[in-house]
Amino acid sequence: MTAEPAIRIAGVSKRYGRTEALKDVSFDVGRQELFALLGPNGAGKTTLLHIICTILRPDTGSVIVGGLDALAHPTRSRRDIGVVFQEPSLDDRLTVYENLNFHGLVFGVPAALRHQRIAELLDLVELRDWRDRLVRTLSSGMKRRVEIARALIHTSKILFLDEPTAGLDAQSRERIWTYINQLRSQRDLTVVVTTHYIEEVEGCDRVCVIDHGTILALDTPAALKAAHGQQLLRIVPHDDAAAAIIAEYPDATVRPDGEIVIKSSGDSFAESFLSRHGTHIRRLSVEEPSLESVFLSLTGREIRDQAAGARERTLAFGRQGGEHTR
Amino acid sequence: MTMPETIRLQAGGLYAIWFREVKRAIRDRGQLIGGVSRPLLWVLIMGIGLNPYFRGEVYGEVRFVVPYTYLQFIFPAVIALNIMYTSIQSAVSVIWDRQFGFLREVLVSPLPRATILLGKILGGATVALFHGCLVLVLAQFADLSLSIGDIAWGLVLMALLAFGLTSLGVVIAGRIRGFEGFGVFSNAVILPLYFTSSSVFPLDPSLTSAQTAVIYPEWLTFLVRINPMTYAVDALRGAFIHFHQFDPALGPAALLAMAVVFFALALRGFARA
Repeated sequence: MTAEPAIRIAGVSKRYGRTEALKDVSFDVGRQELFALLGPNGAGKTTLLHIICTILRPDTGSVIVGGLDALAHPTRSRRDIGVVFQEPSLDDRLTVYENLNFHGLVFGVPAALRHQRIAELLDLVELRDWRDRLVRTLSSGMKRRVEIARALIHTSKILFLDEPTAGLDAQSRERIWTYINQLRSQRDLTVVVTTHYIEEVEGCDRVCVIDHGTILALDTPAALKAAHGQQLLRIVPHDDAAAAIIAEYPDATVRPDGEIVIKSSGDSFAESFLSRHGTHIRRLSVEEPSLESVFLSLTGREIRDQAAGARERTLAFGRQGGEHTR
Repeated sequence: MTMPETIRLQAGGLYAIWFREVKRAIRDRGQLIGGVSRPLLWVLIMGIGLNPYFRGEVYGEVRFVVPYTYLQFIFPAVIALNIMYTSIQSAVSVIWDRQFGFLREVLVSPLPRATILLGKILGGATVALFHGCLVLVLAQFADLSLSIGDIAWGLVLMALLAFGLTSLGVVIAGRIRGFEGFGVFSNAVILPLYFTSSSVFPLDPSLTSAQTAVIYPEWLTFLVRINPMTYAVDALRGAFIHFHQFDPALGPAALLAMAVVFFALALRGFARA
C-alpha cells in the first residue's frame, strides 16, 4: 500500500479542436509529496489539473487518484481532493463562513466535524475575525486564503493549487506558502501546485517542467539544476595571468570588464581551478545553477513576460470557461 | 460509502444549494422591488383601471356575461406573471455562477449533476413561489374571498409552475453567454407567453366557439390555444376564482408536463456543460 502513488497519470492527451493541449503525459505523484507543475501560461498545466480533478475528460489515457480510477468514478474520487482554482470561485455575496459551510455540506461533512474544521482552518489562515464578513469585502489575498481553507474542510488527501499566488503581493504569497507547509506538517497531505513563479518551486519535492503540452523534465529541484542548469565560475584574474587561464579553458568567455566566465563541470571543478590558479586571481565567485537557467535551457525562453501566442490565448480562453471547452 | 453517508451528502448538498439561492435572492433588493412593484401595477392600476370596461356594455349591448370582475379575472394571471418573471430571472444565477467561477466549486464536489441542478431549480422556484405569494397579499383589493383549501391548492399549482418555469430559465441560460443577452431574451420569452395565455382577455367562455372566431382572428386563438401558459393560468383561475375556460384537468396536466419536460431539458443541457 505504501508504494501506491497518490496520483498516477498515464498517456493523457487532450485536444481542443486543432490545438493539442496535452500530448501523451504520464507521471506519478508520491504520497505526501509537494509536487510542482512549472510552465509558462498556456503550457497545459491547468488543463492537466482539470483532468485530474475530473472537471475535464481526457481524450485518451488514464488517471488514478488514490488508487481509484478517477475517470470511471469521478464523484468518488472528488471526495479525496481539494482544489483551489486559478480564478476565484467563491460566492462573494455570501459571508466567509457561509462559503465554507456550503462546501462542507456539498461534500457531506457531518455537522460537528464541519464546524470544528471551519474554526480550525479559519484560525490557520488567520481569518477568524472575518468569519461573518461578505466575501466581496475581502482583498484578493484574503479570498485566496479562504479558498485554501475551503479546499480542506472535507477530508481531502490531495490538495490542488492552481497558481495559488498569482496576482498577489510578495507578503501574501509568502503567507500562503507558510500555510501550505504548516498543513503538510499537520496532516497526511499530498500537494500539487502549478505556478509560473520559479522561486516558489525551489522548496518543492519534485518539479515537473511542462510546455506545449509535453513534459520536458521531472525531478527534484537539485537534480534538475544538476542536469540542465549550469554552474558558472566568474574570475577576475591578475592582469598577467589572464592569458594563461584563457588558454587553458577554451570555452571560457571574457567579458569587457576583464571578468572571465568559465562553465563549471561540477563542485570539484572550482577546487581544481583554485589549486592551479589560486594565486593568480583577485576574485572568484561560483554562481550556482538556478531553476531559471534550467527553464531557459529546457524551453528556450524565459518563463515570464513572453507574449502569448495564438495557442496560449486559446487555452486561456478555455480556462475561463470558453465555449469550446464546455 | 455507506447508505447514511450517501443520504447525508445528497440531502446536505441539496439543502446547501437550495439555501444559497434563497439567501442570494433575499439579499438582492432589486429583485424584491420588482416582485412587489409588478403586481401593484398590474392589479391596482391596470386591473382597477380596466375593471369597468370588462363586463361592460358596448353601445348598450351586453356582450360578455362573465360572472367575475376584470380584477378577479386577471388576478390569477398576475400571480402567473410574477412567478414567470422571477423564475426565469433566477436562471441568471446560473450564468453568474459560470461567469464568476462558482460553478467549478460545485462541479468538483462529489454531488451528481442532477442533484446540483435540482437544488438550483428548487431554490429559484422557492423564490418565485414567494413572489407569487406577494401577489396573493393583494387578494382583498380584487375582492377575492379565499378558503384555506383554495389557497392550498393554489400554492401547489404555483409551486409546479415555478418549478417548470425555473427549469425553462435554466434551459435558456444554458444557451446564452452573458447577462445582457439574457435580459433581452427573457423579456422576449416572458411577455409573448404572458399576453397569449388568455391572461388579460378571455377567449370568451360565454360565447360559442363559432362566435369566438368571429370576434378574435384565428391566429390569435391559435396562439392562445397552443401556449402552455394558457392552461397554467386557467388552472390558477380554477383555484382562486373557480372559473375555467378549458377542461379543468388540462391545467394541472399542462403544469406537470411543463415541470417534467423543462427539467429534463435543463438536465440534459447541464449534464453536457
